[in-house]
Amino acid sequence: MSQSSPIRLLLRGQPADLQPWVTAPPLRHVALWVLLIIGGAGLYGATMGWWRDPRQGLYVAMKFPLILLLTTGGNALLNAMLAPLLGLNISFKQSLAAVLMSFAIAAAILGSFAPVTAWIVWNAPPLTLDASASREVHSAILLTHVVIIAFAGVVSNVHLLRLLKVLSGSGSIGSRVLLAWLAGNLFLGSQLSWILRPFIGSPGLPIQFLRPDAFQGNFYETVFRSVVRVLNP
Amino acid sequence: MLPPSAAPARMIPLGQDPEDTIPVRSGIAVIEAVLRHPRRLLYQMRNAGGGRLIAALLFATVLCSALYGLVVGSFSGGIQLWAAPLKITIGLLLSAAICLPSLYIFACLSGSSARLSEIAGFVAGLLVLTGLLLIGFAPVAWLFAQSTESVVWMGLLHLVFWSVATLFGLKFLRAGFAHTQARSNAGLAAWVIVFILVALQMSTALRPIVGHSESFLPSEKKFFLAHWGDCIDQANRDNVPRNVQTGETSTNKAP
Repeated sequence: MSQSSPIRLLLRGQPADLQPWVTAPPLRHVALWVLLIIGGAGLYGATMGWWRDPRQGLYVAMKFPLILLLTTGGNALLNAMLAPLLGLNISFKQSLAAVLMSFAIAAAILGSFAPVTAWIVWNAPPLTLDASASREVHSAILLTHVVIIAFAGVVSNVHLLRLLKVLSGSGSIGSRVLLAWLAGNLFLGSQLSWILRPFIGSPGLPIQFLRPDAFQGNFYETVFRSVVRVLNP
Repeated sequence: MLPPSAAPARMIPLGQDPEDTIPVRSGIAVIEAVLRHPRRLLYQMRNAGGGRLIAALLFATVLCSALYGLVVGSFSGGIQLWAAPLKITIGLLLSAAICLPSLYIFACLSGSSARLSEIAGFVAGLLVLTGLLLIGFAPVAWLFAQSTESVVWMGLLHLVFWSVATLFGLKFLRAGFAHTQARSNAGLAAWVIVFILVALQMSTALRPIVGHSESFLPSEKKFFLAHWGDCIDQANRDNVPRNVQTGETSTNKAP
């Protein structure tokens, strides 16, 4: 294995480098991944909320890493069971290490974009109640966040897929395991994001860590009702 | 080094691979074997220690379904905290018991050489794998239970989780049948449909599992599709949030 720094090896994503970290996860590397998630996702989260208010930025800096870590932990048992059932014979510790590693890669990418998004927010007019002034800027900033988060997600999952293919010795098994993990993580992650809103915030609403109705309703019900309203105006 | 993936070993007769003959003795070994080394369980079911193994599988099923039932019951609280685990556990075991004789008949008709005890072992493996997957879904189910007031939504979510868990549980059943010289899988496919229908009707017969009701069991008999339709209609008519203080509402009727 190369003598490069662990972060560089992580981001290069070569299966030959990552495989030993999954088969026997060293504690210091696991700690590094957790720190990367807290640091990288935290920095990026701060730029998300900063447009509304610095306090909102502080809240999102705490919430964004929490979503990644809670998704990893909440689905740890499920992911560990799905892997062998789909043909990849890895243990609980190994599956947890693989998922944590992929989130660490995503968080590192997000952290690297934090200066860019901070710059965009710094140059944007303040978030106000004036709909005509804010709407286009809000949409542009929202779209920027969506693109960056999607990019980080795609890259980290491509690395994870390559690793899973090497671990299983089969392209189809690796793909099946990744899809199953993705489905579970997206399902849980969406609901966690719903509960932990707001992120960008709204000028018409107070700055809060959680909305008062955080635990009333869920993401999928809201989407369903929106679809019904559109189809039955 | 990672152990090899399961796929290539499936075609080798049971017992030919030395890994198959490693005995499964403890509870943890049973759980690990059902996930990662199902051939060990299949081999042991056919040989000495099969009865004790089946008992261990059933015990694990009871534990897993009771634990998941606790999560289901946490949505409504109150008596559902013990009623939901009890009903889910009994429902799973009863559904399996009702369908076991027909599975044996279908197996014989398919040319299988499996004994009744072996068939029972396959069903026990199906149940414990289903239970384990449900435990995997438990954190997600709990999160949604704490963040919604919709009985219909929670009923649908648990149904989806149970469906996915059963789908994986059926892998064990299919793996078992693959080693019994059955000429065709048509009988097994037909039995799966019967089992799913029985289990779905069982959930209606034992209602309420999600939500509140005045009685432990329903006084009215209903087909499960009719019951689902009634619940959805009721939810659309009322659309009243659950009363936080009393935990009761007119929408909290049993799915």
